[in-house]
Amino acid sequence: MRISMIAATLAAAALCSAAGPALPVIAIRNATVHTASGPVLEKSTVVVRNGLIEAVGPSVTAPADAWVLEAPSLHVYPGLTDAMSSWGLPAATPPAAGPGAATAPPPPARGPEDRPSNSSWVRAQDLVNPSDRTVTAARNAGFTTAAVFPTAGIFAGQGALVNLAGEKAGQMTVATPLGQYLSLSPRGFTSFPGSLMGVVAYVRQVYLDADAYRAEKAAYAANPRGARRPAYDRALEGVLESPRLLLPAVWAKELVRMTELAAEFKRPTILYGAHDAARVAPYLAKSGAAVLVSLKWPERARDPDPEADEALRILELRENAPAAPAALAKAGVKFAFYAGGVERPADLRAAVKKAIDAGLDREAAVRALTLSAAEIYGVADHTGSIEPGKIANLTITDGALFQTSTKIKFVLIDGVKYEPAPEAPARQQQEEKR
Amino acid sequence: MKRHLVTFLAFCLAITAGPQDTFLIRDVTLHPVSGPDIPLTSVFVEDGIVADVGPKLAVPKGTKVVDGKGLHLYPGMIDSATTLGMAEIGAVRETTDVAELGDFNPQLRALVAVNPSSEHLPVARANGITSAIALPSGGIIAGQAGLMHLDGWTWEDMDIKRSAAMHLRFPTISLQADESMGRRGADTPASFSEGKRRYDETLQKLRIFFEDARRYQKAKAAGGAGFTVDRKLEAMLPVLEGKQPVMVTAGRKRAIADALDFAKRENLKIILAGCREFTPELLKEIKARGVPVILPETLALPLDEDDPYDALFTIPSQLHREGILFAFATFDSSAVRNLPYQAAAAVPFGLEREDALKAVTLNAAKIWGVEDRVGSVDKGKWADLVLADGDLLETKTQIKQMWMRGRSVDLSTRHTKLADKYASRPD
Repeated sequence: MRISMIAATLAAAALCSAAGPALPVIAIRNATVHTASGPVLEKSTVVVRNGLIEAVGPSVTAPADAWVLEAPSLHVYPGLTDAMSSWGLPAATPPAAGPGAATAPPPPARGPEDRPSNSSWVRAQDLVNPSDRTVTAARNAGFTTAAVFPTAGIFAGQGALVNLAGEKAGQMTVATPLGQYLSLSPRGFTSFPGSLMGVVAYVRQVYLDADAYRAEKAAYAANPRGARRPAYDRALEGVLESPRLLLPAVWAKELVRMTELAAEFKRPTILYGAHDAARVAPYLAKSGAAVLVSLKWPERARDPDPEADEALRILELRENAPAAPAALAKAGVKFAFYAGGVERPADLRAAVKKAIDAGLDREAAVRALTLSAAEIYGVADHTGSIEPGKIANLTITDGALFQTSTKIKFVLIDGVKYEPAPEAPARQQQEEKR
Repeated sequence: MKRHLVTFLAFCLAITAGPQDTFLIRDVTLHPVSGPDIPLTSVFVEDGIVADVGPKLAVPKGTKVVDGKGLHLYPGMIDSATTLGMAEIGAVRETTDVAELGDFNPQLRALVAVNPSSEHLPVARANGITSAIALPSGGIIAGQAGLMHLDGWTWEDMDIKRSAAMHLRFPTISLQADESMGRRGADTPASFSEGKRRYDETLQKLRIFFEDARRYQKAKAAGGAGFTVDRKLEAMLPVLEGKQPVMVTAGRKRAIADALDFAKRENLKIILAGCREFTPELLKEIKARGVPVILPETLALPLDEDDPYDALFTIPSQLHREGILFAFATFDSSAVRNLPYQAAAAVPFGLEREDALKAVTLNAAKIWGVEDRVGSVDKGKWADLVLADGDLLETKTQIKQMWMRGRSVDLSTRHTKLADKYASRPD
């Protein structure tokens, strides 16, 4: 009796924590609302209840139970989404192999059958640490949401869309799995795959193997008796679980090469990097691939050799990269931004402003940081824009988002308000101090 | 006493020269290199020395005659930097002995480490190369480069000039990825300041070492009671006295300029080696100071992405136009056989055929200070000769016969042995 009562209490507690504590109703009144899905609404009110957007519009009135935030000079945006990041993940994601993997170097691989550099089964949501420093840093920069991916290895693992606040990692997860993160770095001469060509062959083989594995498993499941069971292969399981794949491609020829490679796999593909995309934007539009553009624009090395001449190719990329988003938008390619390691709010604003200065429409820039990411990952029905019923992720600023003087006032994540830490002085000033 | 000396000299002659070292090559097209080609002439070799050249030579009765009809006679080629006899199989550590540990090893002579049984020596000979510099590497001062014949039972047999130059590997600041691998080496500095710091450190070490050597030189001259011999510093004395040149390897323009500055400050006689990049100013200075240059392979990719495709192909002709003394070198062991083609590759890019040939014969001999003995076919010089069925620098040319100091040299190689073996396999 007593035991069952305790159990009941525990169950109640568990239920309570799953649904979360009661949240305040918030009404942001008289603000300029950039919905991302529709036109900009002047002098409008956004009502947030129970972690969701309840209403938005110029004629909406704040409910009686709402905590009203008067915002006559504020701009409300959908919560900014970093379309590919490692916010909240441990600094060096372990390849998550067996015990002792951290100390002993992996044995050389003989071929694709050894599945080298493959941790496709690793899931980002299992690695997220809510108290990680970078979670706060991301919020300070105005991000409410991020698609986080493990990045170690050729098949690094599966991403998850997480909200950048929460006491437990589980509360943060919005959608998973997003897709398989691939990098194409060779493993050196001593182990397969030792070259870029080897890596591409390896990736191709893994997808071929995965499809064969799926067919074999299905056949066995339909008729197990009298058949040899297929061996379990976690590396292929991870590939099969991933609804899409992310491939690195910075240069035009890489974008084309990766598009062609991905076409063989018959899976939705996202190309990331994309600084040279302006040259091949129409091609990308035709291929239907989604593109993630890194906001870490190519820069001259910090401490370069003063006598070394930079290659024309590098100079051109540096000059042209910020025009890539505008070209993609014009060609009709689905694209989103990712911070690519740019962390400071001022640097982020400057990075997006570069794209705007290079011809990207302002609202298109907003979209590339909000709704487009949600669309690319197939979660636009419940997040990514300011519409009733969507998750109450909002970024509120004191001016148009990408003006240098604009500051992030606060963000709402799942309907909870977070204020950013005061901005650190710009990098230049810091360096002068040193 | 005097009689003893005469017997001793006669004995010396007996072991260095024999009747087989005396012969006549008849009706040959001679390319003496030191002068214009002479068609249909004869060369008389006596006791290993070129005794006479002319169309109608009077020779002692019974002199062995080599028919040179339709053939070409050249001086043997000289490769001005190799690892011959020190590096057999790159992937097998036990067969590679080119580098010693430590920063300063001026007392080491590369020649001592040469394996006379190396399989690469006959292969190099088969393409007309009779001598080569054995170049040590590793550290800053790697040791002494020596000039050797590519045949002999021991290194002493092969020795032409055992201390031809001191090899100084000039420090560089390179932030570039390893050119051969296309990736950053583990040792590549992360930033320019870091690279510069390391470079300054190395340069300081080098300066201090020269200071120590100078102090040692003075102490030795003073001959104090407390003076003790130091092998390393002792080996530096010929360098300080200007008797031995310093062979400075420096690839890119900054390293070359720094090497020239260093040589000026330390008042050294230098030979630049491995140079791949020049500016007009550098060429002028090199010319003005009379510094000879040893060039690496001609057919190489440009150093920088935006360089013209022929950036390295045209270096030999640039040097020649400027009037700089230069020679070619392979800096390798198994690729020494390609030396003639390395020179030939410069010909379509502005170097005259004769000058290409000089750069692997007479000019190399001049650079190494042995032009009194080798490098051309002239009266009084060693009979280091190559008899070929065509132009020496042409790939299809076959070497028919070779002599070193008048001694006929075996031209069979591992390759010919294998070819013979499989050619005689029964069906």
